[in-house]
Amino acid sequence: MRAVMVASSLALAVLSVVPALPAQELSVDDVLSRYYEAAGGMEKMKSVMTRKMTGRMQVGPGMEATFTMLGKRPAKMRMEFTIQGMTAVQAFDGEAGWMISPFMGQTEPEPMPADIVQTIREDADFDGPLIDYADKGHTVELVGKEDVQGTETYKLKLTLKDGQVTHYYLDSEYFLPIKTEARRTVQGMDINAETFMSDYKSVDGMMLPFSLQITGQGPQGQTLSIENVEFNVAIDDKMFVMPEKTKTP
Amino acid sequence: MPLRIGYLGMAALALTAVSPTVLRAQSTFDSAVLGDLRPRPIGPAVMSGRIAALAAVPGNPVTIYAGSASGGVWKSKDGGITFEPVFDDHTQSIGAIAVHPSSPDTVWVGTGESWTRNSVSVGTGVYKSVDGGESWDSMGLDDSERIARIVIRPDSTSVVFVCATGHLWNANTERGVYRTTDGGVTWNRVLSVDENTGCSDLAIDPQDPRILYAGMWQFRRRPDFFSSGGPGSGLYKSTDGGATWRELSAGLPSGDKGRIAVAVAPSRPSVVYALVEAERTAFYRSDDLGESWTETNASSAVVGRPFYFALVVVDPVDFNRVYKPGFALGMSSDGGKSFGQLGGSTHSDHHALWIDPADPQHLILGTDGGVYISYDRGAHWRHVGTLPVSQFYEVGYDMAMRYNVYGGLQDNGTWMGPSRGIGGVRGREWRNIGFGDGFHAFPDPTEPDLVYVEYQGGRLLRVRKSTGEVKQIPPYAAGEDARLRFNWNTPIHLSAGEPGTIYVGSQYLHRSRDRGDTWERLSPDLTTNDPAKQRQRESGGLTIDNSTAENHTTIVTISASPVRGAVIWVGTDDGNLQLTRDAGGTWTNVVGRVPDLPAGTWVSHVEASRHADGAAYVTFDGHRTGDMATYVYRTTDYGASWQSLVTEAVTGYAHVIREDPVRPGLLYLGTEFGLYVSVDDGARWAKFEEDFPPVAVHDLVVHPREHDLIIATHGRGIYIVDDVTPLRHLTAAMLDSAVVMLPSGPSVIGLPTSLQEFPGDEAFVGENPPEAASIVYYMRRRHMFGDLNVDIYDARDSLIATYPGGKRRGVNRVAWPMRLKAPKVPRATSLVAQPMSFVGPLVAEGTYTIRLRRGDDTFETTVTLLPDPRATSTVEDRRLQDRTVMRLYLLLRDLTYVVESTASLRDQARERADSLGGRGGLARRLTRFADGLETFRAGLVSTSAAGRLSGEERLREWLVDLYGAVNGYEGRPTESQLRELERLDALVQATQTEFDRLTSRDLAAVNEQLQRQRLPPLDLESKEAWAAR
Repeated sequence: MRAVMVASSLALAVLSVVPALPAQELSVDDVLSRYYEAAGGMEKMKSVMTRKMTGRMQVGPGMEATFTMLGKRPAKMRMEFTIQGMTAVQAFDGEAGWMISPFMGQTEPEPMPADIVQTIREDADFDGPLIDYADKGHTVELVGKEDVQGTETYKLKLTLKDGQVTHYYLDSEYFLPIKTEARRTVQGMDINAETFMSDYKSVDGMMLPFSLQITGQGPQGQTLSIENVEFNVAIDDKMFVMPEKTKTP
Repeated sequence: MPLRIGYLGMAALALTAVSPTVLRAQSTFDSAVLGDLRPRPIGPAVMSGRIAALAAVPGNPVTIYAGSASGGVWKSKDGGITFEPVFDDHTQSIGAIAVHPSSPDTVWVGTGESWTRNSVSVGTGVYKSVDGGESWDSMGLDDSERIARIVIRPDSTSVVFVCATGHLWNANTERGVYRTTDGGVTWNRVLSVDENTGCSDLAIDPQDPRILYAGMWQFRRRPDFFSSGGPGSGLYKSTDGGATWRELSAGLPSGDKGRIAVAVAPSRPSVVYALVEAERTAFYRSDDLGESWTETNASSAVVGRPFYFALVVVDPVDFNRVYKPGFALGMSSDGGKSFGQLGGSTHSDHHALWIDPADPQHLILGTDGGVYISYDRGAHWRHVGTLPVSQFYEVGYDMAMRYNVYGGLQDNGTWMGPSRGIGGVRGREWRNIGFGDGFHAFPDPTEPDLVYVEYQGGRLLRVRKSTGEVKQIPPYAAGEDARLRFNWNTPIHLSAGEPGTIYVGSQYLHRSRDRGDTWERLSPDLTTNDPAKQRQRESGGLTIDNSTAENHTTIVTISASPVRGAVIWVGTDDGNLQLTRDAGGTWTNVVGRVPDLPAGTWVSHVEASRHADGAAYVTFDGHRTGDMATYVYRTTDYGASWQSLVTEAVTGYAHVIREDPVRPGLLYLGTEFGLYVSVDDGARWAKFEEDFPPVAVHDLVVHPREHDLIIATHGRGIYIVDDVTPLRHLTAAMLDSAVVMLPSGPSVIGLPTSLQEFPGDEAFVGENPPEAASIVYYMRRRHMFGDLNVDIYDARDSLIATYPGGKRRGVNRVAWPMRLKAPKVPRATSLVAQPMSFVGPLVAEGTYTIRLRRGDDTFETTVTLLPDPRATSTVEDRRLQDRTVMRLYLLLRDLTYVVESTASLRDQARERADSLGGRGGLARRLTRFADGLETFRAGLVSTSAAGRLSGEERLREWLVDLYGAVNGYEGRPTESQLRELERLDALVQATQTEFDRLTSRDLAAVNEQLQRQRLPPLDLESKEAWAAR
């Protein structure tokens, strides 16, 4: 489940630096178009068909996991993370979710519980929900300016087609998200997942946050550091589909 | 092709980022600057605190809202197992909560508790949520100060009544009954009496909601006196939906009345009950819609403390069953004629009761000690253990390793508990060491088994913790001296300059140098000794209420100079600020020198400076006369002149100011609405806002060894800001720097501990600090572009760890767990259940260099790690442990390389065999080679598909197990472990030999064959390349 939340932050993916204009009232469309532009532009974003990211995450005091995230249009994803030489998998093939959770004593692939599938379905949206949001049935409203840890942002309220809400906080100079906030109920538990983004870097002309700090899951939360991003690598669809049986480690 | 981001790209990005920065000046000293110096809550919730209002959702009674007297609104969605605070951006004192009966996501909250005890807080009007408490809008009535009840007209979504009690300490007009017909956009005052009388209760007829009943109450509190009752009080009725009202009198007392509670029986609304405070306070019943009344009972179960307990709740099904919360839960089953008392196991003093309309056996009760739930109509109760709304008055500490916190609470005695625990601070780790209302509590500095505690009115006790013995040690009046007058919250002061000397204040200052066995009087009466302010025996109004809460003309704060013990400051509740410079020989009242201060203003705290003997800081608090201003002053010349330190950033009447014990000019300030810090001697203040509600801060202290700021909140328990060392080095000039490294205190390499328990969710666990060293730096603005990481180097300047840096504006604090990276472990199918095998070895004590890398810039500092002083091991033991665990760490790495390389070669061999169609000599050779590799691998690691309970053990599992065992204990490993290490070491060496054989002779032969067939050879990654990955 942790990994699912992790993925949700990474789905934010794609993002260039646009200097701020003098202060003025912006509409929600103004904010969004600045964001699309800051992120690299719609055309570039749409030219990416697959994505592979690898990195490290701090999962507890002194505990580090390595991870690999695969994504493919329109909504396939696979996340692997490895601790103590054991690898857990969470994946979504566009319709069904599955997982291998060796830390729970489960070494074979198993279907993912339905409400975790709901979460991973959200995360699997390749461009993230703010891109083509209307076509996807979502709505976005500009809540206003809000201070995030002393930094001024535009706060956007995204209401997903299914009614779930995610708030995006876009730095008011750069129009790139520095925080998202999502309240979700997963398996009866209320989770308030806050993700802080930074360390933006350009990859093939698109801006991506290479550092994600995730709170709401334990007092210390998790920190993800992305080390590599590749676009348009060949990824077999089979990677996203639940296999019959794991291969030998 | 993997895409790597070069530094050049990033530098370019950083440049683009620079120009707009200049446009946005951010170098102000504000909340965000404090950043990661965040107070952490440790609770406790075990005794909880006063609950002033409760509501649950009819038809879904697992949704509960609890309104705390001064700790906000808490919501449970699971029947009271867990609660979350939902009102932390708003006023924390709650008077009323109402859930719309048919639209339960609409919730109204009236702020400002109406149980007007001496320590009550203040509200800021009425608030509304339409999303079940997720977000709140202020709906006005800002000056009502306190709200006793909110009534939603059940057949409407927009008609709401507010019973505004109004100001306690002065007159005001925004009080009485208010009605809105547009969901709170506009309000009309539909019932009012005068500026001294407010609404104490309000009830609506559920069958005919045009009928309403209101209790109006004349009351006033002064610093020295409380008065309930007067000609303004009365019981009123409206039959036209609140437009007009008339007073009800038939059968009710004819003279002055006091606080009135009123309730309609839901199952027969012609039956109305009332508790009427009067010369003869009694319980009344009406059977004719309030038109005429009959006294039914005036027993002790109903008449006690009406100002505190005027509440009547009728059973939703049985109109003859009626509850009267009070000292206990009064209950009548005969329509109010007789009352029994329930709730023997609950905390006394009941203020709120909710009864499930669908199951009247199900009760939820709010008391001075939190929330209780009963499923058998009050016969048995479950205490909610997850509401940390404890109301501390004062706080102390000891010098134990992992120090304890001490403090007294409103109606919950005195407690001590650990500043951190194993996995958090649990309720069971708190210990009760005093009773009544508790206040100051300190262990004796030279004999820490003894603790000074007290209860209200100067009842001073010395408790021996190890045995539980209690010795009463108050001073007594001597000879000609007047009878001693002690404040409700009597000051006890330990001299910082003279350990072993303690002071206590009555109207005199008393000193003891033998732990309270003998007291000498050091002063004349330091108060005004004004007889007009000594009326506590008459206090209460219609109901005499002399609990010592109104004791006046008393000393309330004492501070002996740590620089020069003969310099002692004393502040009194009637506004005297007295100074002696000769240990009590002569006293001077210097309050007249304080500018812009109303005469007679309560001195809430005085703090002699530890940096200069003529300097002191003082807070004054006038709220008990209705003066809500903040008063904070400094003198540097023994009180001859004073400077106000109040800025626009500070709100709330002031309770306490503390000077940092190390850095002059670093000040901490607690007011009714929060916690502030100044790094420039009060010129500018920043408020702690992130994760810290606007709760009253009554006391503060900095722990002298750990440098933690310990915060006593009156409503949310104890909070701790761990290690304020960085604040001591943060100057106003630094705020304009892009990045400044800040020192932190030395970190103790804590002894590893663990705990097994499965407590469920009904337990509050206070937050621990991370078991980590802190790497602290200030950034002028948030980091956006390129890498920001922290590298840690050992004494030989070898890089031992890299962590992602904090990115926020203000102070960032990166937690380094003082460990190397987790060990490399070969892939396998079983998980070794050794918790300490998942983490790297602890590093050795010593000094480490920290380099913060931000783009092309590097910033450097050091951190110092110390051994845990509780450790029973020697330095040699720890060195042996370190060598042992490092050998295991490296053996694991060696084995991982062997296993991963073996698996990789195996897979490559199989792939080549497959590509050859599996036929032919080479394919067979490759398959044989692969099978041989797999057999070798399977001898090293668990391969059973049975998973975690396979019990399969191979070299990997033995190594991980031993590594985890040795890594979990910071002292000398056992001889058996050292022998086991040698056995495993030999096995790893043998494995390495076998691997070398497989990858030299055998692999070379296979690769030769592959090359002959013009196929790519199998690739063995070098160990160096592998390790660098």
